[in-house]
Amino acid sequence: MALAVLFAEPAWALSLNPDAGSPGIAKANTLHTIVFLLAIIAIFGINLAIARAAKPRTLYVANSGAKSKWSSGRVAGLLSVFAIALFVVGTIYSSSSRSVPESKATVAGADADKVLNVKVTGQQWLWRFSYPNGAFGYHRLIVPAGVTVGLDLVSSDVIHGWNVPTLTGKAQAVPGKTNRIYFRADETGIHRGWASVLSGQGYADMEAVVEVVSPDDYETYVKRLKTDIQFAQDDVEKTLADEARKAMGQ
Amino acid sequence: MTETPDGAEDGVEEVAEEVVVEPEQVEPEAVGETLAGTEPGNRPEVATDGSQDGRPRWVELATSADHKDIGRLLIGTSVGALFLAIVELVILRIQLAVPENGLLESVTFDRLLSMYGATGIFFFALPLAFGLFYFLIPLMIGSRGTALPRLGQIGVWLVMLGGTLLYSTILFTPPEAGINPLPPFSEVAFTTNNGVDAWIVSTGMATLGLLMLAIDLLVTLKHLRAPGMAWRRAPVFVWSGAIASWLFLFIAPIFLAALTMLLVDRRLGGSFFTGGAGGAPLLWQHLSYIFLAGTYMLVAIFAIGAITEIVQTFTRRPLRGRNAVVRSMIAIAILGTLAWTQNMYTAPIPSFWKYLSMFLAIALIVPFGVIFQSLISAVAKNDFNMSAPLRYAMGALSFASVGLIVEVSQSMLAIGTQLQQTYDAWAATHFALFGFAVFGGLAALSYWYPKLTGTYLNEERAAKSFWLTYAGGLIALVPLFGAGVEGQVTDAFRFFGGEGLGFFNLVSSIGTLVLFLGLVLTIGNLIRSRVEEKPAPPDPWRGETLEWLTTSPPPPHNFDVLPDVRSANPMSDIREVLAKMDSGEARETRESEPVA
Repeated sequence: MALAVLFAEPAWALSLNPDAGSPGIAKANTLHTIVFLLAIIAIFGINLAIARAAKPRTLYVANSGAKSKWSSGRVAGLLSVFAIALFVVGTIYSSSSRSVPESKATVAGADADKVLNVKVTGQQWLWRFSYPNGAFGYHRLIVPAGVTVGLDLVSSDVIHGWNVPTLTGKAQAVPGKTNRIYFRADETGIHRGWASVLSGQGYADMEAVVEVVSPDDYETYVKRLKTDIQFAQDDVEKTLADEARKAMGQ
Repeated sequence: MTETPDGAEDGVEEVAEEVVVEPEQVEPEAVGETLAGTEPGNRPEVATDGSQDGRPRWVELATSADHKDIGRLLIGTSVGALFLAIVELVILRIQLAVPENGLLESVTFDRLLSMYGATGIFFFALPLAFGLFYFLIPLMIGSRGTALPRLGQIGVWLVMLGGTLLYSTILFTPPEAGINPLPPFSEVAFTTNNGVDAWIVSTGMATLGLLMLAIDLLVTLKHLRAPGMAWRRAPVFVWSGAIASWLFLFIAPIFLAALTMLLVDRRLGGSFFTGGAGGAPLLWQHLSYIFLAGTYMLVAIFAIGAITEIVQTFTRRPLRGRNAVVRSMIAIAILGTLAWTQNMYTAPIPSFWKYLSMFLAIALIVPFGVIFQSLISAVAKNDFNMSAPLRYAMGALSFASVGLIVEVSQSMLAIGTQLQQTYDAWAATHFALFGFAVFGGLAALSYWYPKLTGTYLNEERAAKSFWLTYAGGLIALVPLFGAGVEGQVTDAFRFFGGEGLGFFNLVSSIGTLVLFLGLVLTIGNLIRSRVEEKPAPPDPWRGETLEWLTTSPPPPHNFDVLPDVRSANPMSDIREVLAKMDSGEARETRESEPVA
């Protein structure tokens, strides 16, 4: 009964991220709840045993030579069974937490499996996001709700720690190597996290912000972003061309 | 040879060549007086006696190749490093006491953090473990010294020069790339000053020096055991020294290679770890985490060895399951070091390795559980004298249990990717290493204090400073679990308000001040007791290992007569013989007596 409650309702006080924004993080929360309870029991159990053992006493314990039923072999056997069980539970929850979630919706730019691939480049000390249509932006990643997003994490200088606890967890952005993580945000909202690998002076202020919007809003945003970039680029090119012409004229 | 019942019968382990060296004929009266340590004139003449008259003590220490002096130098270095590390930790915590604190600049914080990490690992924990091993193991196996004393002498000087080099950077530019300086950030393109180079050279010198000590210890253990000191009779602390030295022999060259590669990258235009040009930044993580995971386990093995000796002495019983403890230490060394990829859950490496290290980390429950059960039940089931060493030992088990359990829960892949690189992981590592290195180290120091210095440790002050340190450690570290679960990442020089982190950080900073006070009093007690306390006899605790046979502190040649070991409890045999001599009983007709 108690176990059923535990497995069914992880989103209470012990949960790691009560406002989990993706199914993977919800799984991680459940695992954390189980392990947290076990850890609390183990910590208090062992420390109570130590406190009781080390309590000053005057009585001489007469049967200290008697054979204890807790021989080292028996303890090792019991702990092995426990460790294997823990590993099985941990593996089940971890693998389901890290599996690629199924897309519930689709947007323009998603690939054949309905996964939207966004390239995330870490650089000192901000994040750059490149969307499938060629648009790019800094600081804030906009993703559609209900669509599986695959983040291709790379870095253009040092190792950066991508970290959005309520949505993706942590992943390193390493130069020269792509680290791919998947998530699906189910509800609109904003998720934040601080970079987690020391990368220099601006490290403490390097924040990752992910805004989950509806698929329609996402498409509008990305289109507008692309047009804005196009305008800006045209503007720059025009200015450059003007200057060149002026220089030629002189 | 007549068989005496050994505490530990084990056919698997290698039996030492049982060379029956005919013990030099000693008159019974002379034996008694040597043990009392009163009349050095009555000792048999040994060449080292009286040869160093007229030289000041510091010259003696600086030029000595004696394992006891080398051990004392290392222990002194590590106690000094403990003080420096705790000062650095206090400054770091003051900066993090309130949100958006402007006390330290970003780069100053990074520098303090780098110094703190290097000091704690390379100049406190490892030198303390090796210093005690080096001081005690030759005594425990009944040897006159180590096999390669000059190697040990170079070793300790390398460690001390490395420490001096690290702290001389305060005058220039201290290292600023963090506790583990991950390339490419630690490459010259991103940290242009010489701080990281100083870090590389100083930690490299310390590692190389300690590696030399490990080699010396292994050769000593192979060749210089006293007659009859079979491996199955060797004390647990000797076993832990052997396992730790073997472990260091594997991990130290890997780290030295990594340091060399980083130095080549930085100053000779190499590209081992660079971001572009064919470099592999992840390679550094593998190499350094193999070393750091191994070091963690080495410190644990050292503390377990010391705690086992303490528990055996103060409960006056050989530990039940002694062989299981030794086997568990071997398992810890292997499993714990092979689980290095559990520090790399967030790195782009194949999932298989992450699940493998998760399995290995969870498997560590078994050896650690066996050890904890064995030690705690030994104290629970027996009569004991509560004294400073046992109190520190129990504190060590208590702190380490918290750290290890949280480490196991973070080794779950899904939880690890959430909590690693947060203050939750920081607190877990600190709990485990405070338990093993600080409390375990202080347990060992207070237990062998009479042997190291020749005086007693002040019991009253030791108890007070223990409780202050214990309470300070708890207040400093427990709130950080909360901060970590709330998502506070480590290594950042400030955090922001409004995220529920302020309370945890403030309490932790206050706790760090209490911890500082406790450790300063502890170190003060270690220094003051040397001057103020009364001289200690050779065997103040009635120990069962051979270092208690000789005077406190031991003479340069360790033993006037090498002991002949007949069981796992040689001191019991010797006391028995001495008691018989005192009562005037006729000596049993045996080939040789188990006595010095």
